[in-house]
Amino acid sequence: MNPATHIPWIASYLWLIPLLPFAAAGVSALLPQRCRKTSAGLAIGVIVVSTLLSFCALAESILHGLEPHAGRTWSAMQTHEVWHSLIEFTWFNYGTTSLKLGFVLDPLTAAMATMVSLVSALIFIYSLGYMSRDKNFTRFFTFLSLFAGAMLGLVVTNNLLLFFICWELVGLASYLLIGFWYHRPSAAAAAKKAFIVTKIGDTGFFAGLLWLYHATGTLQFYTPDHTGALEQVTALAGLPGIMGLSLAGTIALLIFCGAVGKSGQWPLHVWLPDAMEGPTPVSALIHAATMVAAGVFLVARTYPLFQASPQVLTLVAWIGAFTAIMAATIAVAQNDIKRILAYSTVSQLGYMVMGLGVGGMAAAMFHLLMHGFFKALLFLGAGSVIHGCHNEQDIFKMGGVKKHMPITFWTYFVGTLALAGIFPLAGFWSKDEVLTAAFRWGGGLHKGPFVLGCLGVFLTAFYMWRQVCLVFLGEYRGGKARAGHKHVGQEEAETHHETAPGVPHESPAVMTVPLIILAVFSAFMGFSGLPEHANFIHHFLNPEHAPHVVNWFVIGTASALAFAGLGAGHLLYGVKPLAPDEPDPLKAKLGKLRDFLRDKWYCDELYEATVVRFVRIAAVVVDLGDRLLDGVTVGLGLLARGVSFFNFKFDEQAINCGFDGGCGSVRVIGRCFAALQDGRVQSYLRLVAVTAAILAFWFFLK
Amino acid sequence: MNPSYIQLLLELLPQIALVVTAFALLAVDFALLRQRDPTPRFRTLGRITVFGLAVAGAMLFFQLGQVQAGGAFVGPLRTVVLDPLTVFFQIVIVVVTIITVFISMAYPFTTHVSEYYAVLIFGALGMNFLIASEELIAIFVSLELLSVCLYILTAFHKGMLRSAEGGLKYFVFGALSSAFMLFGLAWTYGLTGDTTLAGIGQAATELAKHGLHGNGAMLGVALLFTLVGFGFKIAAAPFHQWAPDAYEGSPTPATAFIATGSKIASFFILVKVLFIGFAGAHGSAAWGGFNSGWIAVAATLAAITLVVGNTAAIVQRNVKRLLAYSAIAHAGYILTGLVAANALGAASVFFYIIVYAFTNLGAFGVVAAISARVGGDDFKDFTGIYKRAPGLTFLMLLFILSLAGVPPLGGFFGKFYLFTAALSADPHNLGLFWLVALGIAMSAVSLYYYLVLLKTMYVSDPVAETSAATDRIAAPPFLNFALLFSLAVVLWTGIAPQQLLGWIERFL
Repeated sequence: MNPATHIPWIASYLWLIPLLPFAAAGVSALLPQRCRKTSAGLAIGVIVVSTLLSFCALAESILHGLEPHAGRTWSAMQTHEVWHSLIEFTWFNYGTTSLKLGFVLDPLTAAMATMVSLVSALIFIYSLGYMSRDKNFTRFFTFLSLFAGAMLGLVVTNNLLLFFICWELVGLASYLLIGFWYHRPSAAAAAKKAFIVTKIGDTGFFAGLLWLYHATGTLQFYTPDHTGALEQVTALAGLPGIMGLSLAGTIALLIFCGAVGKSGQWPLHVWLPDAMEGPTPVSALIHAATMVAAGVFLVARTYPLFQASPQVLTLVAWIGAFTAIMAATIAVAQNDIKRILAYSTVSQLGYMVMGLGVGGMAAAMFHLLMHGFFKALLFLGAGSVIHGCHNEQDIFKMGGVKKHMPITFWTYFVGTLALAGIFPLAGFWSKDEVLTAAFRWGGGLHKGPFVLGCLGVFLTAFYMWRQVCLVFLGEYRGGKARAGHKHVGQEEAETHHETAPGVPHESPAVMTVPLIILAVFSAFMGFSGLPEHANFIHHFLNPEHAPHVVNWFVIGTASALAFAGLGAGHLLYGVKPLAPDEPDPLKAKLGKLRDFLRDKWYCDELYEATVVRFVRIAAVVVDLGDRLLDGVTVGLGLLARGVSFFNFKFDEQAINCGFDGGCGSVRVIGRCFAALQDGRVQSYLRLVAVTAAILAFWFFLK
Repeated sequence: MNPSYIQLLLELLPQIALVVTAFALLAVDFALLRQRDPTPRFRTLGRITVFGLAVAGAMLFFQLGQVQAGGAFVGPLRTVVLDPLTVFFQIVIVVVTIITVFISMAYPFTTHVSEYYAVLIFGALGMNFLIASEELIAIFVSLELLSVCLYILTAFHKGMLRSAEGGLKYFVFGALSSAFMLFGLAWTYGLTGDTTLAGIGQAATELAKHGLHGNGAMLGVALLFTLVGFGFKIAAAPFHQWAPDAYEGSPTPATAFIATGSKIASFFILVKVLFIGFAGAHGSAAWGGFNSGWIAVAATLAAITLVVGNTAAIVQRNVKRLLAYSAIAHAGYILTGLVAANALGAASVFFYIIVYAFTNLGAFGVVAAISARVGGDDFKDFTGIYKRAPGLTFLMLLFILSLAGVPPLGGFFGKFYLFTAALSADPHNLGLFWLVALGIAMSAVSLYYYLVLLKTMYVSDPVAETSAATDRIAAPPFLNFALLFSLAVVLWTGIAPQQLLGWIERFL
């Protein structure tokens, strides 16, 4: 079956998936603030349609995958046995240069689009309840639609430039949403931080994009005649790049910079926890479905470039492993419910990046998809808890919430076990895939990522169980402390129902139903990735890598560590519930180390002392230069004004004034003829004649 | 009767439809409507005019299909040549005229309604013939038909002194330019012995074989006089002095027509005359390599026009005058693309005049709608108008940004193509880089005065004396349709520029 000749109908309409949310964003941007229902209805309506279309795409690609493929061998991979349905169109061309854009339907796109749109749809619905009291409700849904549209755009595009445009739109939307409560200085600062830090990575990405265009002459990933940028990797791998890497490796490294920024990998992870300043549905959207997934998806999309360079893959694996373990240790010592989840996201992203680095692209994507479900579940659950506990975010001021919010508790419980990797929930299967890939990667030092990953499993289980114990079990510790409790966010308070203070309450159905749906997905989606021969998702995403055998050692180790983590957490926090003002027992156990972890390894301080200080000094220098330049600019401006004034005077007075004056003094039209005869026409004629004569002399008679 | 003349008549059916419409208008008006108020007459007769134009447009559309399938129709002596490109541009002219009529219906300024529409249609007729002709005499006669109609339109606001002044000035300058052009054309005929552009082209190439010296110098003078004549028509500096007065004085719909339809037709025929007739005498305008020929003259005019138009616009305090200077500046940009002297240059010029025409139609339409209500078109009348007319002001914002060349509006791609064409003429040495750099620098200057206008409309508070009125200003539905149509063209050429450019390149 030749993919070039057969284009499934859904491929031709793939552009609708991102365009619909964009259109909704455009329309609701023009709506007045009072049209709350219209805006929300529109946003939810189109995201549901996008979801349905994504499911159609998924169904199409699954059916396509079931058809028999002959001769699937290693050599066939170079001529992309993974099928792609391409839709191309020319945006504009000039002479021989043309700018082509296009969309691609392949398993990667289909799976990703389905997850993104489904999770987005559920988060949109949840936002209905969470944001119901916010006065900027309409604007919120506008931004949400823009966010979802941009993310879906980069999922379906077949062109790195369009990818980059959507990527930047994702950045813009995240900036708008993190800073949604912009009167709060911390929110404004967090928005700026997210924007600037990710922009640092984007610079590398953009350089890689330009270099790729220079080297291959196209930015299409795949083209019908197999000359796309990703189909010329063999050639690129043979050319020299920088630092002893091949050209493919260099470009891959630069592109990876973008992924590091967006997906919050060390050393650019610092923006992600601060992004918690946004409303909770936004945090969920950023952490589960959109922003951070973009980075991992970018690497997965351009994976052939990475495959061509083992050195870069090694770097990717180590950065991922380091991020995974570092973020997990930080998460252990945090008190803010959303911050714990944020560091958990950074850590899980580390797993995905590690998976990519050790060659398990399908494993990483599998983990990304599963993580999308359970992390969205956890964030929305946390939002529900915060909502129910009157905007309290400190887990030491919660406790016993299980009694008051049973639905939230049970869904959160499922999410926790899924994240911890407990059999048979989603996280178990996907984390097992990643760890197996890491285990098989190499020997000696190359077992490092695997070891770090296993340590991370223990820590993950520990901090998640710590959170569950402190929030849901024991007795409620918030009631008495309320006198001294200050409202962190005035705005957040406005958005919520004010009920009797002191007692947590269950959230409305509009918030709990998405939780239940996500919990179901978190529990059962993992079965799409059963190891052994039935590993459907592996087949689907990456058919060349034949299914590998079950590695009982990895499964055993990971499960044991996960249970150990849960057990340790329970020993420390669950056996004896904490009293209201009791300090964290971890303090006694870890001492100074805990402060180090609580302060996030002093990353922010380190950057403040080095990068930021350097930039400040540079800014002073540049400012001086600017002042100089400014003088020149002002001078030039004055000069231009002078010239224009002269020109104006010339036009108006030397030429028009006599005529106008003549006309103005007479009231009858016929008298203008008299005015014409007083000699002014001669002056026009003279000017024209002189010009003509000068031109003639200059060009023809010299 | 020669059978080819019957065929000629058949081929000219769209134009005949225009003439019939004009006379039908006069008849209906004089017989039935003379006693009515101007406003309903403007609407009723406007509908008839639009109907007639639409019929002509439909015929042209049919003709476009015919000439695409069956090859170009060539009339006797090449006076009428109907190939896909000319028919396409005739359609554009008819659409522009229809939009002008829509604007006029919202701006009832005279009691001589049918005369006004008839003159408008005759102007459109002149443009139609001008576009189709490839022969000197036919070109001159069509140009005169067009110009005389425009003089009348300019002076049509009989009660207003400025209108009369503008009309008169336009007429004096126009007559002068006709004299120049006629002189140049006559000399051209004398030197080449032919009046068809193709014949002239052959002879001129022969004459200019050894540069424009000796006998060639006389060709140079003929060329120069022709170019000076065209310089008036397209309002290139230093032959532009009529434009600000004519634009300001004319009734706004007529201004729109002068600024758009006449520009399209004039530039179209200028491209034909230069690219076909004077193909051999092109010379060069490369930096450090100036060589006598039309490219050198056109590049010089382009540079002067860019500077004069853009800088003089800065100090204007009347919206229509501002747009007049902006029109002069845009003539400079278009000349920049013209000097590329290749197929890309021609395509970019054709693309740009269409984008430019629809952008300006929109801008003048908004000006007409607002000034009909506030009673003036100075900046002070438009101050803070956003509060009274938010929709119209937003449309104006888009049109002005397109004029300034801000992506993703049509004006951006128009300028992009013009400049790229100028650079592509000599891709290795980038000889025309100086002109492109000047053009880009001047479009930065233009952003200033465009933004001043937008700031006046959006940000400034209304002046005390005019702020008394606070009622909303909304355009009537037909004007809204015209404005939205123009906007659609501007957006379409901005978002999918390839489509229009592709058509033009296919027709070339």
